[in-house]
Amino acid sequence: MRYKNIIRERYKLIIKYIGMLTMAIGGFLLLPLLVLPFYPEEVIYIEAFLTPAAIFFGIGFLLWKLTSVKDDVTLSLKEGGIIVLISWIVAIIASAIPFMITGELNFTQAIFEATSGWTTTGLSVVDVTKASHVFLMWRSIMQFFGGVGLIVVMLSSVLHPYGFGLYNAEGRSDQLLPHVKKSTKAIMYIYLGYIIGGTILYVIAGMGVFDAINHAIPALSTGGFSTKADSIGHWNSLPIEMVTWLLMIFGTINFATHFALLKGKFKVFFKNGEIRLLLFIIAIFTPIVSYFSLSGLYTSLPATVRRGFFEVVSAISTTGFSLDTFSNWNQFGVLAMVLLMWIGGGTGSTAGGIKLYRIYLMIKSVWWELKGYFLPPNSVVENYIWRGEQKLYIKAEYIRETANYIFLYMATYFIGVLIYLAYGYGLTESMFEFASSVGTVGLSIGITSPDAPVGILWTQTVGMFLGRLEFLVIFFAIAKIVKDAKYLATE
Amino acid sequence: MYIVVIGCGRSGSYLANQLSKAGEDVVVIDKKFGSFDRLSAEFTGFTINGDATEIETLKSAKFDKADVVVITTDNDNVNAMIAQIASELYQIPKVMVRLLDPEKEVIYHNLNVITMSPTNLLVDKFTREIIG
Repeated sequence: MRYKNIIRERYKLIIKYIGMLTMAIGGFLLLPLLVLPFYPEEVIYIEAFLTPAAIFFGIGFLLWKLTSVKDDVTLSLKEGGIIVLISWIVAIIASAIPFMITGELNFTQAIFEATSGWTTTGLSVVDVTKASHVFLMWRSIMQFFGGVGLIVVMLSSVLHPYGFGLYNAEGRSDQLLPHVKKSTKAIMYIYLGYIIGGTILYVIAGMGVFDAINHAIPALSTGGFSTKADSIGHWNSLPIEMVTWLLMIFGTINFATHFALLKGKFKVFFKNGEIRLLLFIIAIFTPIVSYFSLSGLYTSLPATVRRGFFEVVSAISTTGFSLDTFSNWNQFGVLAMVLLMWIGGGTGSTAGGIKLYRIYLMIKSVWWELKGYFLPPNSVVENYIWRGEQKLYIKAEYIRETANYIFLYMATYFIGVLIYLAYGYGLTESMFEFASSVGTVGLSIGITSPDAPVGILWTQTVGMFLGRLEFLVIFFAIAKIVKDAKYLATE
Repeated sequence: MYIVVIGCGRSGSYLANQLSKAGEDVVVIDKKFGSFDRLSAEFTGFTINGDATEIETLKSAKFDKADVVVITTDNDNVNAMIAQIASELYQIPKVMVRLLDPEKEVIYHNLNVITMSPTNLLVDKFTREIIG
C-alpha cells in the first residue's frame, strides 16, 4: 500500500513536468507566426498554428495546475526518461498538426515530417517549392529545439533544476559548469550565438535573409531541412558552401568542447579524441570518396574535391545538406557514405549516429588491449581519454556500455534494412536510406518521397526517433511504465 | 557562489546536495569513486575523483576561483593541510573545516578558518541537558 502511494506521488510529479513541457510546446507553435509581418499574404495559415497552440497550451496548463505534488520528491534517471519520452511524443504530434490542418500532408506524412524535424534528421516529404514561408520557418524551428533538446531549453529557462536525471535522459549528458541551470544556459548562448553568426555569414555570402536563417538553424542543429529542392546545391556558390562547412562542423562538436575552445584553450581542444577522430576521418574520406567515386562524374579536380568534401562533412556531421543527387554514385561511394553516417558526430552536440566518442573509445580499447598484452603481468595502467576540459579515466564498464550501444544500434539498423528489402528496394538504396534515418542524417538516395509506402515512412519515423533519443532511454522508460502499471493494477 | 566540498562522506554529500538544490555551483572532491553514490538526484554539480592533497586535483577543481571551501574528510591532519593550502596559498575568503578531534582546534588558531566540531556540539548539548 505504501509503495503504491509512493509510485502515485512520483507519477504525479512526472505528469506535472509533462504538463509544463506541453505548455511550452504550445508556445513554440506560435513562433513561426513571427514571419507573418514580412509575408502578410500568408495570414490564412494563422489558424493552423493557433488552434493546436491553444489546445496544447490548455492541456498542459490543466495538467500542470491540477496535479498537486509534495515538495520533497525528486526524479531518478528512469523517471526522467519517461518525461523525455512522453514530451518528445507530444512535441512530435503537436508539430504535425499544422501540416494536417492545411491538408498539405496526411497523418503519416505529417508525423514523418515532424519526427524528421525534431530529431534533426532532415528527410522531407514536403514540396519546398510550393510550401509557404510560415511552414518553412516552422520546420527550422522544430530543428532548432530538437537539436539542442527540449529538456535543455526548459532547464535553461524555467524548469526546477531537480532533474539531473532529465538532463541525462535526453542524450546530452556533458556538463559545462557545476550547476545544471548554468550549464544549459551556456549551451543555449553558444547555440544561439553560432546561429546568429551563421545567419550573418550566409547573408554576406549572398543568401537572402529568410533563406539565411532557414539554413543557419538546420546547419548548426545538424538538421538539414532546406528551403530549396536542391538544398545547398541550389546556389552553386563556393562562399555559401564554405559557411555551411563551418556551421556543420561546429554543429557536430560537443558543447563542452566548444566551451573549452571559446575560453581559448586550444591545446585542450586539439587533445580531444572526438576532434582528432573527426579531422582524421574527414582527411581520409574526402580524397578516397572523390577519387574512387566522383572522378568519373566530374571533369575537373577542384569540382570533384569540392563535392566530395561537402558530402563527407555533411554525412559525418549528420546534417544532410547535399549539393546534388546520390543516385549516380558508384557502390564504393555509397558504402563510404553509409559508414560515415553510422559513425556520426560528437556526443553532447546536436548530431546523431553512433557518435565519434564511442568509436574513439572502441578504437582506444582495442589499442589498450594490444598494448596490455606486451606489458608485465603485474603492471598497473590507468587508461584515460580527454573529454571536455579534463581527463576521463576509462573503466571496463564504460567500454561494455559502449559496446552494448553499438550492438543495439547495428541490430536496429539491420532490422530496418530488412524491412526495406521486404518492400522490394535494392540493398544499396536500403542501406543508404536507413543509415540516414537512424543516424538522423537526412541525406536521401531517392526512397523518401511523399508517395513512399506507408510502412517505409513509419520504419523511418521509428528509426529516427530511436536514433535521436539513443535507444536505451526509450526501452527503460517503457519498461518502467509497464512495470509500475502492472503493480498498480494488481490490487 | 562557487563552492568546493572536499570529502563526500555523510556530511559532505548532504551539504553538497543542499547547496546544489539551492542553485549554487558545487564541486565535490573525493578519493574514492564510490563515495559519489551518496549524492542524490538533486545534485547537479561536478564530481572530481582525486586526492585533495595533490595540487593537480585542486587545480582541476579550479581552487583559485572558489568562494567557499568546505573540508570534511575523515582525517584531521589532511583537513588541516588542505585548510592551510586554501586559506594561505589560495587566499579563499571562506574556509570551513569539520574537526573530528576537538583537541586539534589549536592548529587553526592563527588561520582565517571557520572550524566546527560535532563532538563539542554533542558534549555541550548533553552537558546542558544533564547539569542544566
